[in-house]
Amino acid sequence: MRKTKLFMDTVIDIQVVTGNTDNKEEAEAAINRAFEQFRRVEQACSRFSPDSELMQVTRVIGKSVQISRYLFGPLMFALEVAKLTYGKFDPSIGKVMEEQGYNRHYLTSSVINSAAADAVTYRDIILDPSAHTLLLKKPLVIDLGAVAKGFSIDLAANELKEFDGFVINAGGDIFAGGMEQEGIPWKVGIQHPEKKEQIVHVFEISNLAVCTSGSYERRNVKVPGMHHIINPETKKSPNELVSSTVIAPYAMIADTFSTAGFLLGADKGKKLLEEVGLRGLFITSDLQFIHVGGNSNDTKKMD
Amino acid sequence: MVKMDKKWVILCSTAVAAAYTSGFYSTETQAVKMESAQHNQISLHTKVQQSGTTGNIANYALNQQNKKAKQKYKDGTFTGSGMNRRGDIQVAVTLRKDKIVDVQISNWGMHYSESDVVDLPGQVIQRQSANVGIVSGATYSTEAFTDAVQDAINQAQNS
Repeated sequence: MRKTKLFMDTVIDIQVVTGNTDNKEEAEAAINRAFEQFRRVEQACSRFSPDSELMQVTRVIGKSVQISRYLFGPLMFALEVAKLTYGKFDPSIGKVMEEQGYNRHYLTSSVINSAAADAVTYRDIILDPSAHTLLLKKPLVIDLGAVAKGFSIDLAANELKEFDGFVINAGGDIFAGGMEQEGIPWKVGIQHPEKKEQIVHVFEISNLAVCTSGSYERRNVKVPGMHHIINPETKKSPNELVSSTVIAPYAMIADTFSTAGFLLGADKGKKLLEEVGLRGLFITSDLQFIHVGGNSNDTKKMD
Repeated sequence: MVKMDKKWVILCSTAVAAAYTSGFYSTETQAVKMESAQHNQISLHTKVQQSGTTGNIANYALNQQNKKAKQKYKDGTFTGSGMNRRGDIQVAVTLRKDKIVDVQISNWGMHYSESDVVDLPGQVIQRQSANVGIVSGATYSTEAFTDAVQDAINQAQNS
């Protein structure tokens, strides 16, 4: 059983192994619930829709606003990674992204132009975990592009956990649950940064997420060398790496840390992943591999 | 795996569990609730506050504001087709009150060549004979689907 839909400006492909059992209806209902999670997170976290929760609540400056748990979780995670990387990864980067042309809604083509102060950092975003509130010190645009998709994948995986095998593929960010067949884990290939139809490495995984951040998609059409991953300090795109893959028990971890690793580059990115205890694969611009952490057996029991 | 810092796992499991907690503010109702509050705040920053809109479907939102205006598009699910380099694309777009609520891909030419593992300079890669249908890579955009989605929307247009 398999369905493919568009959310968050990418293609979300969900498949469930139904085997020889006759639970196709059940599988379809679960797949629909999994897609519903993408819809909710997009409605909560998109910076491209003026009517998303994120864009509504960030119009309030200097005052606490209660926010939903679909926004709170990913924002909290983004801020923690920002702290860990001393702002190298920073969700307050939204206005810079807008200015670089990442400002158009993929379905409506409407362009957004938001209010923002000149100099902002993640420290201007204050979350209160007990009250579930957000307080912005300055007008700014929050970008959860490296977090929200991972969070959606985790929620979708939670909807599908009863099945013996399932895969959620959100435009190249993947969670593979259970097994492909009895006793055989899923195989996830890592895309060649230049030859799109080829893969350069294969990971065998079970109940793990594999997310890749790369500079070979979503390039800036106007500015050579620029792409959708931008260093908040220099406002330039780093180009030491062309691909950064992270494997983690949750897609939100893999998604966010693959982007953070890309931003930090080979040496510091490797240190970051080792510090957190993550496994990954970096590919440099001269197509060298850097393997980080882990052993070859990536299976994990699901709760 | 190496032992992982538990903090990040806990942040994720808490966030997932919280989404199922009853009594939370749903994103939609929260957004509506905000609308009244924002009027008080918005004036503080009007000098930079602007939202430009371009494109065909953008008009939806504008129409929405005038509730008495006739819907520009019919409610329902409409199919559209387009082409990319690999072949035909078919989509089913569901519209409700002039908003796109769902886009399902019914046919898609994008495939990776199976077991096509290549070597990179200085690397010895273990070739795997099994099929690899799942590929992780930089997130590709939906550009290839724009024409097909627009085609479906055109079918929905009220005359």
